[in-house]
Amino acid sequence: MTDTTPYPALEVPPIQLRLDPVIKLTEEEFAAFCTMNKEARIERRVDGTLEILGPTYGYIGSKNATISARLYEWAKRDGSGVAFGSLMGYTLPNGAMRSPDSSWVPKSRLRELAPEDEERFIPVCPDFVLELRSHSDNLKLLHAKMEEFMDNGSRLGWLLDIKNKRAYEYRPGEDMKIIENPDNLSGEPVLPGFTLELRKIWDNQF
Amino acid sequence: MVTTVAKPPPQPTAAAGTPPIILKLSPLIEMDDNQFAEFCSLNPNLRIERTKNGELEIMAPVFSETGGKEGEIFGQLWNWSKRDGSGRAFGPSAGFTLPNSAIREPDASWISFSRLQALTPEQRSGFYKICPEFVIELRSDSDRLSVLQAKMEEYIANGARLGWLIDPQTTRVYTYRPDAEVQILQDPDSISADPFLPGFTLDLTEIWNPWHNLQPPAEN
Repeated sequence: MTDTTPYPALEVPPIQLRLDPVIKLTEEEFAAFCTMNKEARIERRVDGTLEILGPTYGYIGSKNATISARLYEWAKRDGSGVAFGSLMGYTLPNGAMRSPDSSWVPKSRLRELAPEDEERFIPVCPDFVLELRSHSDNLKLLHAKMEEFMDNGSRLGWLLDIKNKRAYEYRPGEDMKIIENPDNLSGEPVLPGFTLELRKIWDNQF
Repeated sequence: MVTTVAKPPPQPTAAAGTPPIILKLSPLIEMDDNQFAEFCSLNPNLRIERTKNGELEIMAPVFSETGGKEGEIFGQLWNWSKRDGSGRAFGPSAGFTLPNSAIREPDASWISFSRLQALTPEQRSGFYKICPEFVIELRSDSDRLSVLQAKMEEYIANGARLGWLIDPQTTRVYTYRPDAEVQILQDPDSISADPFLPGFTLDLTEIWNPWHNLQPPAEN
């Protein structure tokens, strides 16, 4: 199979930036800092080191929007939870801040949040997370991120490697499943009635 | 059969280049020069510069080939400067605070001893508060040309007297001088810094083709 991507297949790991102890930020300041720097995709590791990725390039950006839109449409119909796109950040129970490409959280968990959580990355680990691998993403780091979500309470995770038409499915307490070139993926029982149609996603085009 | 390497192997063509990641800090985070220096040493693997507006420009480590070329350039400048004896050559990790308050790390630079001696102890601490008189920037595969051109103009506006921007992707050298148009040389074998740095000529053979004198692996 020829890879028609016009972009180099160089894997660029996120920039890892340490702030502490020179710069100390409260959770509210950290959220404000990320908002000031929206175009830099910032996450925080469990040890406090920031991981920063530049903006997405190429057709991956449009795949991301397509998937988030389908999840959003399903969540509206279903009504029991809220879908989020790639600009949403979560403070996980282990203290890391992660921002999956798409995610879904039941409304019951959002209702438990305190008013001050409005000013920071909400202390929730989403029930469902989805990550897309772009050309430059290191697969090992993405697997580690999916495992971190599962360890922190996610119930379903999909990692989609578009270039290789491969899906990795994570469920807590189960072995990770590798699915080659699936036409679709079912979100049962975490996302009742949600099936993600993938044929258009795999086609390496906008 | 004997094969020789006539041309460099194809390079990854990051045509558009990856811009540095820019982080705004002010007004949320204010760092004085000492804190900035401490912050940089907390992150020794990153190339961190500061714009005149106080934003951070963060670049990932360079690939091996670019690092080798940076070494080649600095090595030639250092050799000349030792022979010449009128100033000091600085390598790619030396940062300088420019008069406009930006902190920049040219890939190679040179400052005369007379200007270095004029620095006060305060100006000598951390990132020297001086713009090098001579600066070289090497474009790596991931550098955007326009970002480097703006950087060269900033050096000249802040007191540099000669600047070279070396672009291996197009085998061009852009020469910057105060009050002069940018001069572009296409495919030069070498470039001379006369009369500003008397006798310094940078041989570009290794920069354009770092594989030229390396034998291919033996066939079996």
